[in-house]
Amino acid sequence: MNENIIEVESLTKKYGDFKAVDDISFTVKEGEIFSLLGPNGAGKSTTINVLCTILNKTSGKLIINGYDVMKQKEKVRHCIGIVFQETTLDSKLTVEENLKFHCDFYKVPRSEVSERIDSVLDLVDLKDRKKSPVGSLSGGTKRRVEIARGLVHSPKILFLDEPTAGLDPQTRTNVWDYILKLQRQSGTTIFLTTHYMDEAEISSNVSIIDHGKIVALGTPNDLKARFTKIKWKMKSSNPEGTIDYLNRNAFPFERRENEFTISVSKTDMILKAILDLKKDILDFEVTKGSLNDVFLSVTGRDIRES
Amino acid sequence: MREIWAIFYRNFLNFSRDRMRVILTFAMSLFLLFVFSFVMKSSMTEMIKSPMNYLISGIIIMTVFQTALNNSTSILEDISSGFMKEIIISPISRWRISVGQILSSSVIAIIQGILVLVMGLFFGLSVDFPTFLELIGIMAVVGATFSSMGLFLATVAKSSSTFQTMATVLVMPLTFLSGAYIPTTILPKFLMPIIYINPLTYVTSVFRYVTMKMWNVPTAQLIKEGVAFNVHGFIIMPQLGFLFIILMGFLFFGLSVRKFSKADFSTIRVLKLKH
Repeated sequence: MNENIIEVESLTKKYGDFKAVDDISFTVKEGEIFSLLGPNGAGKSTTINVLCTILNKTSGKLIINGYDVMKQKEKVRHCIGIVFQETTLDSKLTVEENLKFHCDFYKVPRSEVSERIDSVLDLVDLKDRKKSPVGSLSGGTKRRVEIARGLVHSPKILFLDEPTAGLDPQTRTNVWDYILKLQRQSGTTIFLTTHYMDEAEISSNVSIIDHGKIVALGTPNDLKARFTKIKWKMKSSNPEGTIDYLNRNAFPFERRENEFTISVSKTDMILKAILDLKKDILDFEVTKGSLNDVFLSVTGRDIRES
Repeated sequence: MREIWAIFYRNFLNFSRDRMRVILTFAMSLFLLFVFSFVMKSSMTEMIKSPMNYLISGIIIMTVFQTALNNSTSILEDISSGFMKEIIISPISRWRISVGQILSSSVIAIIQGILVLVMGLFFGLSVDFPTFLELIGIMAVVGATFSSMGLFLATVAKSSSTFQTMATVLVMPLTFLSGAYIPTTILPKFLMPIIYINPLTYVTSVFRYVTMKMWNVPTAQLIKEGVAFNVHGFIIMPQLGFLFIILMGFLFFGLSVRKFSKADFSTIRVLKLKH
C-alpha cells in the first residue's frame, strides 16, 4: 500500500512562452485519494492531461505504475482510467454498449466483460439503466456512467478531472459517495482535480496549485494546522472583563460590541480560556479552518474570486 | 483485430440507428432518377442504347462515393462530441483506429450502394449474380478509396464547417462532371481536361461498363457512350481507369493513416454541449 504509483519530478508544460505548469513535483501512493486543488486556469487540467498521455510534457520526469509516461504510453494507458470534465460517451449507444466497446478497446478478456459491466454499474447504482441510450440520461447520471466506464478495465489509477463540475449539490454529494465507496471496495488509487475546496476533504493528500506552481502539499488536517487558525467566537456578558482577560493572556481578538472573535492555533488554549471565563460566556462557537482558508492563506486570495 | 472490429461495429451501430440517413439516400436517389430520366429519354436515345440503366448505374456509384466521403464527418462529430477523446486515450494504436474508420465507412457506403441498386431493380435495371458480385467489388474499391480520402481531409480540416465547405466545393462540380447523371459526351469541349483528370469519371465509367456488360461493345461505341475516353488519341478503357482508382486508393489510404497517426487531437477544443 505504500508504494509510489505516480512520481512527478520537476514537471513543466509550456504553451509557447506561457508556463501552464511550472516545475511541479509530487508523489502519489498506491491506494490513496490524491487531490489537486486550485482555481480555474491554475494548471490542474494540463497536469492531468500530461499524466494521462494526452499532452506531451515540456520537461521533467513522469512515472506511472513503473512506466515512463512519455516512452511507454500504451502501457500507461492500460493501467489508468480517466473521467474527463466533458462527456466523452457516445450518446447514440446504450450504457451497456458504451461499456462494452470500452472493454474491447482495453482488451478486457471476453469471458469477463458482462460480469465486469454488471459489477461497475452496480457500484454506481445504474444496473437498471443498462439498456438506456446515453443521450436520454441526465448530466449527473452520465457522469456516473463515465465513472463506471473508467473502472471497467480495472485500472490501477482512476483520474477524475473536476468530477463534480456542473452538477447540482445533491448529485455532487452522490458522486463523492461513489468515489469513496469505490476507493474502499477496490483500493484503486484516485487522482482528482477540483476547485471545490471543501470537497477535497475526503482526500488522503492534497496538493494546492496556483499559477502553475504547487503552493502547498499535505494531508487536509496537516494543511489546515499549518496554514489556518482556529476561530473562537464568543458572546460575553462582561465585555470589559473579557477584554482585560484576553489582553492579559495575549490572545489576538476582534470585538463587535459584546461579541468577540479570537484566533488561536490550538484548541487546548481555548479550553482553558472557556473555563476561566465560564461565568461571563453567554454563547460560543469554535470553527476550525477549512481548505478554502488554507488556499486563502497560501495565495492571499479567496478561491472563488480568482 | 478486436479493437478494429470494435471501432467498425460501433460506427456501424450508429449508422444502423440513423434511419433518417437511409431514407434521405433513397429520396435523393429517387429524385435524381426522376429528374435526369427526362433528360436521358428525351435527348440520349440515339446515342445511348439503354438510357435508364445508364443513369441508374451512375446514381448507384455516386451514392457509394458520396456516402464514403461524408462518413468522415462522423469523425468530426466524434471530435466535437468528445467521444474521440475516449478512443485516443485508450491503448489502441492510431493506425488501427484509422483502419477501423475506413473499414466501417467503406462497408456503410457499400450497403447504401446496394440499397440504391435494389431500388434500381424496380426501374428496369437487371443484374445477374456474378455481375452483382463484381459490382460489390467495385463498390468496395470506390468506398475504400474515398473513405480514405475523406479521413485524410477530415484530419486536415479538423472542424466540421471547414470540411463541409471543402466537400461542397469539390463534390458538386466533380459529380456533375463525371458523367454519372449527364453523359460527358454532351458537355462542352473546354470542360474535357477537367473531366479527364476527375477521378469520378473513371469510377462512373468502370461501374457502368460492368453493370451494362459492355465487354463486347466496340471501343468506338464505348467512347460514344462516354464509358471509354479518347484523350488526344490515347484511349482510356474502363479497366485502366479502375487501375487508376485502385492506385489512388492506396495513396490516400497511406496518407490518411499517416496523417491520422500524427494528428494532435488534444488541441481541438471539445464543444461543451448545452442541455
